[in-house]
Order: sequence, then C-alpha cells, then structure tokens
Amino acid sequence: MIDAARNPADWLLPPDMGLARGRWILPLLLCAALLLWALSVATFVWLPLTQLPLYFAQRYLVLDATSLLFVLVINTVFLGISVYMVSRERHSPELVRDLRVRALWSLLFMLVMNLGIVCNHLILQWALIEVTTACAVLMMVCGHYGAPKAVAWRYMLYSSMTLAISFLGFMCLTQSADLRDVDIHFQLDQLAGALSHEKDPWQRLGLALILFGLGGKLGLAPLYSWLPETYEAAPTSTSALLASVQFNISVVALFRVLQVFQGHESGFVSQELMLMGYASLVVAAIQIMATRNYKRLIAYACISSSGVIALGLSVGQAAAYGVVLYIVSNAFVKSLLFITAGRMHAVYGTNAVAPLAGVIRVLPFAGMLFAGGIFALLGFPPFASFLAEMLILSGIVQAGNLLAFTLMCVMLTIIFVATGRSIFPMLWGAPVQQRAPLKESLLSIIPKLGFVAVLTMLGTFTPHAFTQLLSAVARSIGGT
Amino acid sequence: MTLTLMLCLLATLVPVFFSRVSAAPFWLGVQAMALGWITLTQHQPLTLHAAFAGVEVLLVRGLLVPQLLRRAIARQAEARVSLMPSNLFAWGIAVALIIFAFKFGDGARADVRALTLGVVASTVVMAFLILATNQHKMAQLVALLFMENALALFESLMPEPWPLPVHLLISTVYVLTIALGSWLVADTTAPPPGLAAAAGDTQ
Repeated sequence: MIDAARNPADWLLPPDMGLARGRWILPLLLCAALLLWALSVATFVWLPLTQLPLYFAQRYLVLDATSLLFVLVINTVFLGISVYMVSRERHSPELVRDLRVRALWSLLFMLVMNLGIVCNHLILQWALIEVTTACAVLMMVCGHYGAPKAVAWRYMLYSSMTLAISFLGFMCLTQSADLRDVDIHFQLDQLAGALSHEKDPWQRLGLALILFGLGGKLGLAPLYSWLPETYEAAPTSTSALLASVQFNISVVALFRVLQVFQGHESGFVSQELMLMGYASLVVAAIQIMATRNYKRLIAYACISSSGVIALGLSVGQAAAYGVVLYIVSNAFVKSLLFITAGRMHAVYGTNAVAPLAGVIRVLPFAGMLFAGGIFALLGFPPFASFLAEMLILSGIVQAGNLLAFTLMCVMLTIIFVATGRSIFPMLWGAPVQQRAPLKESLLSIIPKLGFVAVLTMLGTFTPHAFTQLLSAVARSIGGT
Repeated sequence: MTLTLMLCLLATLVPVFFSRVSAAPFWLGVQAMALGWITLTQHQPLTLHAAFAGVEVLLVRGLLVPQLLRRAIARQAEARVSLMPSNLFAWGIAVALIIFAFKFGDGARADVRALTLGVVASTVVMAFLILATNQHKMAQLVALLFMENALALFESLMPEPWPLPVHLLISTVYVLTIALGSWLVADTTAPPPGLAAAAGDTQ
C-alpha cells in the first residue's frame, strides 16, 4: 500500500538521492518516445490500409484504421511533449526531480495508452482507461499548484464514476442479449452480432449509459466539471497529455461503440450526442466569458471542442471526415497551447491573464506560438481546425439540420469573441510591468514549431496516404 | 447462490444504513467473500479458469483490499463518520432507490439473474447515494470500492468468467483504486513552503 506520508515518487527517486543519479530518465523518455513514434510511422508507411485489420494476441489486440490513426497521433504528440520535458529539465533545475518522476509515469501512461488504443475488447479497453487514469493521477500529484492531491482525488473520483456509468451500460447490453437468448462477447469484432435490430429498451439504456459515461470522460456536459480544475492544476506536460492523449483513448472507445452500433439505434445515438454537444458548447461559452485565467480558458476551450465533436458525430455521414480531422488537429492544438502556457507560467508564475499583458514582447516565440495556437483553436485558416469546422458545419447543413447549424455558429461566435477579449490583450496589450525580452532555447521551441507545422500541413496539404487513413476512419463511424 | 447474493446485498445495505466508515472494511470483505463463493460455485464442473478467478477474488477483494482500507482508515479522523447521513430524508431516498434497483432487475427471465441484477443495481445506486450525500473523502473512497465490487458481481451474469487478462486487469484497477485513493485522501501536511514559493516555475 502507498504510505500516506510518502509520495509514490519517493520510491522511484528518493528525495535524498543526488540529482546526478536520475539523469538517465529524461533521455530514456525521449528515446522511448522516438521509438514509439518511429514504430507508428513505420507501420503507417509500410502497411497498406487494404491489409487491415490485423489481429494479435488471441484477438485481444487489433490494428485497424482507427487504432493506426490514433496510435500515430498520440505518439507524435508524445514525442513533442517529451522534447518539451527534456528542455524543462535543462532550464529549470528546481523542477528536475519532479520532471524525472513525471517522466517515468508518463512512460507507463503511454504504454498503457497504446495498448488501450489497439485493444479489441470493450471491457479490457475500459479497464485500460482506468489504468491510464491511475497513471495520470500520479503525474498530477507531481505538481505544486494549489492542492494537487485534492484535485487528483476529484479527478480520480469523477473518472471512476463516469467509467462506472459506462460499465452499467455494458451490463444492460448483456441483459438485452440474455433476454434474446444470444451469447454476448465484448470482443469488438463480435459484439455487433449480439445486438438487436428491433427496438430494445435494455439495449437502448445500455447505449445511453455508455455514451453518457464516455461523454463524461471526454469532458462533455453535464459531467464536465472535473476537466477545468484538473487541466489547470496539473503540471503542464500532464495537462497536455491528458488533453491530447488521454482524451483520444476516450474518443477511440466512443468510435468503437459507434462502429459496433452502426445500423442500430442511430437516431437515438444522434439525439444523445447532439444534446451533450450543445450543452457543452453553452457551458464552454459561458465559462470562457467569465474566466480570466489562460490555462482554465484552454480547458474550457477543450470542453467546447468536445461539444463540436459530439455535434459532428451526431450528424454522422457527411460530417464524419471533418470530425476525424478535427480530433486529430485538436490533439496538436491542445498540446501546443498547454506547453506554451507552461513556458509563460514559468516566467510569470501565474495563470491569470492580466499580469501577462504584452507577453509577446517578453517571450516573443512563446507569445507568437500561443497566438498561433489560439488562432488554430478558434478555427482560423490555414490551420486544419478551420477546414475541419467547415466540413462539420457543411455536414450539418447537408443533413438539413439548420437549427443545429445556427446554434453551433452562435456558440462558436460567442466563444471566439470571449476568447479574443481575454487573450488578445494578454498577448499584445500594454505591459503591467516592464520586463526585458527573454531568450528561449531552441529545444523548447522545436516541439511547438513541430505542432504548428503539422497543423498547417493538415490544413493546407494533407498527404494522400494520410487523407486515405482519415477517410477510412470516417467511413468506419458511418461517414460517406 | 440465492443465499450468497442475499449476503452480498446485506453487506451493502447494513453499512450504508447503520455503519460508520470504520466498519466498511469488514463489510467489503463480506461482500468479496460472497462474490468469491459465487464465482467458485457458479460454473460446474469447476474449471481451472473459474477456480483461479474465484481464489483471486477471495484473496484480493476479500483479504488484501479490506486490510489496506483498514490501515488507511486507522489514521483518519473520518473513521467515525456515518457512511450515509442518518436522517429520514436520506433513508427515504435510499429505500426508494433500492426498490427501483430491484424493479430494474425484474425484466430478467431467471430468478437468480433478476436477483443478481437487483443486487448489482442496488449496490451501484447506494454507492452513488454515498457519493452524493457524503463529502468525506474516506466515505467516497468506500463508495468507489462498493461500486467496483458491484461491477465485479456483474461477471456472474456472463455465461462464463471473463477471460483471464480482463479479470486480472479489473482486479488491478480495484487494487489501484484503494492504493491511490487511500494515499490521496490521507490527511497530509501542507506542501513544503520553500517549494511552493520557490517560484511560479512549478509547471
């Protein structure tokens, strides 16, 4: 058992241990990140989509378009975050021990994440998401902002609750199958066979609970309140991993459910997702108007992104490609914003917007990249989020849901204005206190530039092979 | 099986209505013993897989986790707190939820299955009720453990036990919940002032 008086980190790196003894940890993290990234890129490059799906480990693992895309995305993001952590180790000696401990947990987190994404068993995937939550908790308590243990506890509580709700959904599906004398197995490639095409209240209840629970993990209203607090209080690299990596395993779980339920209860799925999507957009719009804290603002923007994704998925068909592109682009936007916010916090020591007025003069690169990230977040060209939002909106119009289109446009406009009102004075406003411009190391800039490059590339010229992969995933969730 | 299910139900209801947090490890242990017994006796003849799953439930859920929880509670002032507030309103809601939970299981064809569903559903709703009515973290942790035991009982509704990797991972999640949960909710001293004030450079 973990002793109450001791941080689990103390077992990994005892506080009295000299800093020199753990110096292999961050290089190890970087090597592991490079290896994971190289493996995923190699698989993407050399394995034709026509050969997928491939099953491994007695069919517990599957490599199909969905798992390939998300493995590629999370490992690319992780590589960027690892470079960021290495740069922090070099320039923030007071954080070295925390960074090293966090690096070890991050590594475990990523291994479980990769396993979770390629998992072909819904319950196993559920349990792996729970394990990633435990890793995330351990990464969160390495921070010192506010009361990290209290925040980590609330995160764990919410996470367990939302996942328990999903599990209740599995229970209802089992009951539904039993009443029809059908054997149910939660292998993803077999589950669809156990579903009913008729109206079945147990099946519908199960689906509703699964979507509701996973929606909570994605930060969709009404179970969103863990997200702003967690993202704000967690150390920056942890926030980035939560927002860009753990978010995506929940997306994969949601995609798996949609793939399994294709042709079943589609109207019901659409209504539930639409409801949660709108509620999230409204919540995000109101909170973004009220907040004066840039890290919290990014967190609320994550809620609004989840809302857009849910709305896009509720439309299905024409919007599916846009949704997949939006999810991929969001992973990079969130990482870019969080690690840039981390740099600003390191200099100013606060998450409040006002003291950072004119930050672009003090931190020209970080300020510019943060501005780029905000523009990408708001869906400006040439970033991929612009293209994705346009595709989602056009999909909604094609589906004939003009009310949904109008509401989404109104909410996105409010979010745009409210974000600009807080962030633009922070970037370009008159400084509260004069500071000399600070130098930024190349190592800290590289991952951010990499994220911007990927976002621009996805918005302007997407390689054909990648477009095909996105299309394959879109088709798997009902896209045309 | 009916008797063991009733025992499982009692192990949920008694602590919720009448016990303090300090008694929770005992009742969790009772719940797990019933769970282990169900796993061992449900599938005849007993396969190696079912035997392993049953023994694992008895050892991990019946012995290890209650012991860890007992140790965690021993250090806490919250040990004397009731799991659910003792007032007529909370009791009324709890009774209504239990009735609702058993209505939920009514749709099942077999009696044992209906009873199992009722027990799972009532354990889950009781756990949610504790979470909704009790702000003490140790009570919330107990609620989480109740909820995870209910999810484990769900396994008995399946035609055969979970595949071994699934079973082991679900147990790992249970152990992680108690290990991390008890550490997070433990009374802790404030962070070292030097560290908090070292700089804003904490991210």
